[in-house]
Amino acid sequence: MKWPKLRAIGPSLWGIGVFLLVLGGLAPWIPRFPLTILVNLLIFAALAYSLNFITGLTGYVNFGHVVFMAVGAYTLGYTVGTIRLHPLGGVALGGLMALVLALGLGAVTLRFRGVYFAIASLVTPLAGLNIVLVLPALGGGQGILLNIGFDPLSWFYTIWAIIATEVGLTYWITHGRLGYGIRAIKSDEDAAKSLGVNAPRLKLFLFALSGLFAGATGGVYAWTTSGVFPEAAFDLTFSLRMLAMIVIGGMGTLLGPLIGAIAVYLPSRFFLTIFIGTESIIIGLVVIVIALFVPGGIVGTLRKYVPELRRILE
Amino acid sequence: MSRTLEASEIHKYFGGVKAVQGVSLTLETARIIGLIGPNGSGKSTLLNVIAGIEKPTKGTVTVDGRRVDGWPAHRMVELGVAKTHQIPKPFLGMTCRENVAVAMMYGSRREGEPASALEESRRILAMVGLDRRADAPASNLTVQERKRLEFARVLATGAGLVLLDEIFAGLSPDELRDAIALFARVQKEQGFGALVVEHVMRAVMILSDFVVVIEEGRKIAEGSPKEVVEDPAVIEAYLGSEATNVTP
Repeated sequence: MKWPKLRAIGPSLWGIGVFLLVLGGLAPWIPRFPLTILVNLLIFAALAYSLNFITGLTGYVNFGHVVFMAVGAYTLGYTVGTIRLHPLGGVALGGLMALVLALGLGAVTLRFRGVYFAIASLVTPLAGLNIVLVLPALGGGQGILLNIGFDPLSWFYTIWAIIATEVGLTYWITHGRLGYGIRAIKSDEDAAKSLGVNAPRLKLFLFALSGLFAGATGGVYAWTTSGVFPEAAFDLTFSLRMLAMIVIGGMGTLLGPLIGAIAVYLPSRFFLTIFIGTESIIIGLVVIVIALFVPGGIVGTLRKYVPELRRILE
Repeated sequence: MSRTLEASEIHKYFGGVKAVQGVSLTLETARIIGLIGPNGSGKSTLLNVIAGIEKPTKGTVTVDGRRVDGWPAHRMVELGVAKTHQIPKPFLGMTCRENVAVAMMYGSRREGEPASALEESRRILAMVGLDRRADAPASNLTVQERKRLEFARVLATGAGLVLLDEIFAGLSPDELRDAIALFARVQKEQGFGALVVEHVMRAVMILSDFVVVIEEGRKIAEGSPKEVVEDPAVIEAYLGSEATNVTP
């Protein structure tokens, strides 16, 4: 695989790249409170990109994505809590553990298609929660409380690096030979197979990537909250929120997860908390409307109706 | 390179339904084998077993002497054995060129670069007469054009042995004449071997070097097209009295 020439790289990737560079350069001067909000936003964006690998690119809807996040969070909690590993090591190990889990889970559940895969994926967080609750080493129902201090700048650069890697990988995958195979699978898996696409392997590859990055992000999340708590770690609404982000932003696109994360996170942070509980209702309604009337999400719809943007937005 | 695919004593059962019961046939480079039989006689099932879409209940498939039964479809394609779908399955969101490019990158050619695969796709689309539609989304194609795209994709995999499931069905007499001529020309150029499942007798009679007739999952006759249509068992089982009117 050749590396794409700089000139040939699309404007969307340039845009995200410049955005991330500016953000990275400015970070040391951002006051602590806004920086923690920014870190939270980036955590959601990183999760949305991780879900985009499997659900966005192949159309396999994964309701159980939060499991990978939980595995990453618990890996960090356990290794930092017991052997005093540096949190960065915890993040890396968390990603690795989630990758291993994704390979195991995916080998079984990716045999299901469409709604059957979605249902199978729904079971995994429930199973995960009940397993953790009976494991004393992981704190059982209490969870793990860490004492690793408040360090928003380290959080920021860690999550920043995760997103940059995800964006780069998404671009590389969608613009090469793999991208064609993946689009073929999304369009008609049987036809793809009968033209030589090794669909099981390609799906497992994407599922593993998706697990890896969700796990690493889960590690960062546990780092920012200085602990892991079972009910929160396996909270299904996390999965739903990530799904909402990629549906609203544009499934399988390069910009979609970032735009979706901003579109879902910022309003929910500032406005929707005024009335407790309205947040989920409003997000749910928005997702229904988008799925019914503008299935391409923000990016897909702009591409469809504004031809001038087609070369720019991906 | 000459290649030989041998299916021997293939059985395929779906629960209590015995779709194929001990059919054997041989497919070779540059030869066209017609596979005919009444509806539900197990033709498509046999094709699916050979292509790796279904696993045989019993029996073996070998390619150049190597056992390949039970291999998944994508490995059969890598090996150079590819099949069209009876109902075309284009990738609707992609253009014709992209459809063909997928086959080129994942088939036995293993073209690694999308740009060159897309370029090469034009040539293959021209071969099947779809060059003017190269950049149209596959969803805009008519049924006939979809059949041609299906054929183009199989060619693009670089397969030396192709399995064609009713590619001539549903054509008007004029379209059929064109399609037969096109197929004969492309086959001569490319030199692939083809196993052709077909209801359209005219196509089978003109194109086939050898015809295999199956009924209720069993082979009831085989031979040259002429021998087969004169076989009393075939006339009784499948063609009926009107068969005498079929002229090659």
